[in-house]
Amino acid sequence: MTDRRAFLLGCLAASAVPHATWAATGATAFLSAGKIGEDYVLCGLSRAGDVTFEIPIPTRGHAAAAHPTRPEAVAFARRPGTFAMVLDCATGDVIANLSAARGRHFYGHGVFSKDGRTLFTTENDYDAARGVVGVWDTATYTRIDEFDSGGVGPHDIKRLPNTDKLVIANGGIETHPDSGRDKLNIPVMESNLAYLENGKVTETVTLGRTHQYASIRHLSVARDGTVAFGMQWEGGTPAPALVGTHKSGNTPVLMSLPETDLTAMNGYVASIAFSGDDRHIGVTCPRGGLVQTYDTQNERLSVCHVADDIGGIAPQASGFTVTSGDGSLHTIGSQTITRQAQHSIQWDNHLVAL
Amino acid sequence: MKSALFLFAFAPTIALSSPMTDDVITGHILPRYETLAGTAQTLASVAGQTCDVTDATLRGAYGEAFDAWIAVSHLRFGPSEADNRAFALAYWPDTRGVTPRSLTQLITAEDEAGRDPAIFPEVSIAARGYYALEFLMYDDAISTLGDDAISTLGDDAYRCDLLRTVTADIATTTMEINDDWADYAALMQTPSEGGPYRDDLDVTQELYKALTTGLEFTANTRLGRPLGTFDRPRPARAEARRSERTSRHIEIALATLRDLSQRLAVDHPNTHAVLDGDYARALERLTDLADPTLAGVADPMTRFRIEALAQLVTQIDTQTAGLLGPALGVSAGFNALDGD
Repeated sequence: MTDRRAFLLGCLAASAVPHATWAATGATAFLSAGKIGEDYVLCGLSRAGDVTFEIPIPTRGHAAAAHPTRPEAVAFARRPGTFAMVLDCATGDVIANLSAARGRHFYGHGVFSKDGRTLFTTENDYDAARGVVGVWDTATYTRIDEFDSGGVGPHDIKRLPNTDKLVIANGGIETHPDSGRDKLNIPVMESNLAYLENGKVTETVTLGRTHQYASIRHLSVARDGTVAFGMQWEGGTPAPALVGTHKSGNTPVLMSLPETDLTAMNGYVASIAFSGDDRHIGVTCPRGGLVQTYDTQNERLSVCHVADDIGGIAPQASGFTVTSGDGSLHTIGSQTITRQAQHSIQWDNHLVAL
Repeated sequence: MKSALFLFAFAPTIALSSPMTDDVITGHILPRYETLAGTAQTLASVAGQTCDVTDATLRGAYGEAFDAWIAVSHLRFGPSEADNRAFALAYWPDTRGVTPRSLTQLITAEDEAGRDPAIFPEVSIAARGYYALEFLMYDDAISTLGDDAISTLGDDAYRCDLLRTVTADIATTTMEINDDWADYAALMQTPSEGGPYRDDLDVTQELYKALTTGLEFTANTRLGRPLGTFDRPRPARAEARRSERTSRHIEIALATLRDLSQRLAVDHPNTHAVLDGDYARALERLTDLADPTLAGVADPMTRFRIEALAQLVTQIDTQTAGLLGPALGVSAGFNALDGD
């Protein structure tokens, strides 16, 4: 078994040897973790909503990270998980198991470098309540370094297009495995959006006192580098905003929407994505049971659809595909929501586009 | 049947709370907030008469006021959340030791805010409320801080003023919450499209969430933080250990959650029987521990019993989600359940 794994890793590492691409997995366009009965899986999905592969994982997953060229996906355990699996999506084989370093746990998100040689993972140095980014060599999937994430409780992490600049949603919420998922610092929480280059924070964006209890958690990046962020609200009073955008060097913009629509979101955004043409931002609100799209030109709410237990969202050419905990997939056009497919898999929080 | 359908069809226009939610509001929530405000008032008056932190009357008033807070500490919605009132009453857990640091700064600087309840709310939220008061009354370092300084009298007087300010601030905050509950109760009792609750199911959802949040906080934080891990137990993290109230807080929390659970399950006797048996067992195990500060977490011989109690509370939470949630029609979906 060790030999076989070593052989596989050797193949992947040797650039002279032609190796598989994502084409080997069929029409896979998206990745999503899910639950079938009491079992957990990582699945590939086509644009049409068909399941292209289904690989068992040991516990509940969260997000996945797709290698830019090789058909490899990293399936992260849900926070505060201490493992992630690297899967060969063409064969279903486990290429490597990632274990969190001592005193660290994963937050469920990661991203590959532009050349695919490095994987970055958001992690918690929990005794110090310090957000860190783990750096992994993808030839061997060993952890080679770590650096500060620029805040507490880093969650989503993305790479700006055509660069190795990272943008990180530091949610600001302190948790410790001794207390499960209980939030330990809400009265003094400080969330931010941090940009990092070569392991150093180059820019930190905060939203000010009105938004003190807004935890920036999920990100999507447009081709021009604009970052859309989705938040969850930890205050007892209604949230002032839950969706915003930011372009490095500028001030953040918060999406405006009628108060009733804001209230209906129930203080919580699960996933966020730019549409394929970057003209819209889609957000899912499982607690409010709805999915919204915003127009990036006028920074306003475009449409809102009722959608039960909605979680994942990913771009289609001009709209979105969304997944639900009830197993359904829907496509969202400019005004309409259409059922695309129904599976007996409870789709988890995130739908990751390749 | 016909008349029932007729009534049902028109029900959405006459939004009223159900007898169940009404009972939770009038039988569980309102009396507890009234007690909270009343005991805080008494505490402030007693502190007005004596600054002797070893005084039995003062300690008694502190105990009753703190008890009353724990009995509402799971109700994190509505008036307690306006202006960060709940945080101003209870800054715990304090993972970075901000409370003792803030108090030390106030005392050493003899900050004017510590003498004036009107401007006191501007100080760090960690220096306010019951947990800060515990430091002032029971922490060896804080309660005597400054005694070696030149002006012993002056420092004593400052700590006395600060104690009075903290208790007066608690009294004001709890009174505001209690006052606001009159209007907020009405909002819950007559849900409407424009209000914070659209219908009675929204109200039920809020009350149910308070129950599960309280159970999780009890298992994960009140018990989980001192438990730490087997290799690294953390007895110093025990809640209110200086006044030896750790175990008492768990007892009050379980009792108040049991009361809420019982009222929520009023129409579901079988569910109630299962849950209530577990609450009784948990309370029994807590009594058997006879460990006021949960110091036993560091002793392998007693630790397993505290772990077993934490597991039982987690089990109550799981049972509540599995039985009571569906019975009330408020089961959360796979993605809506508990966030990312």
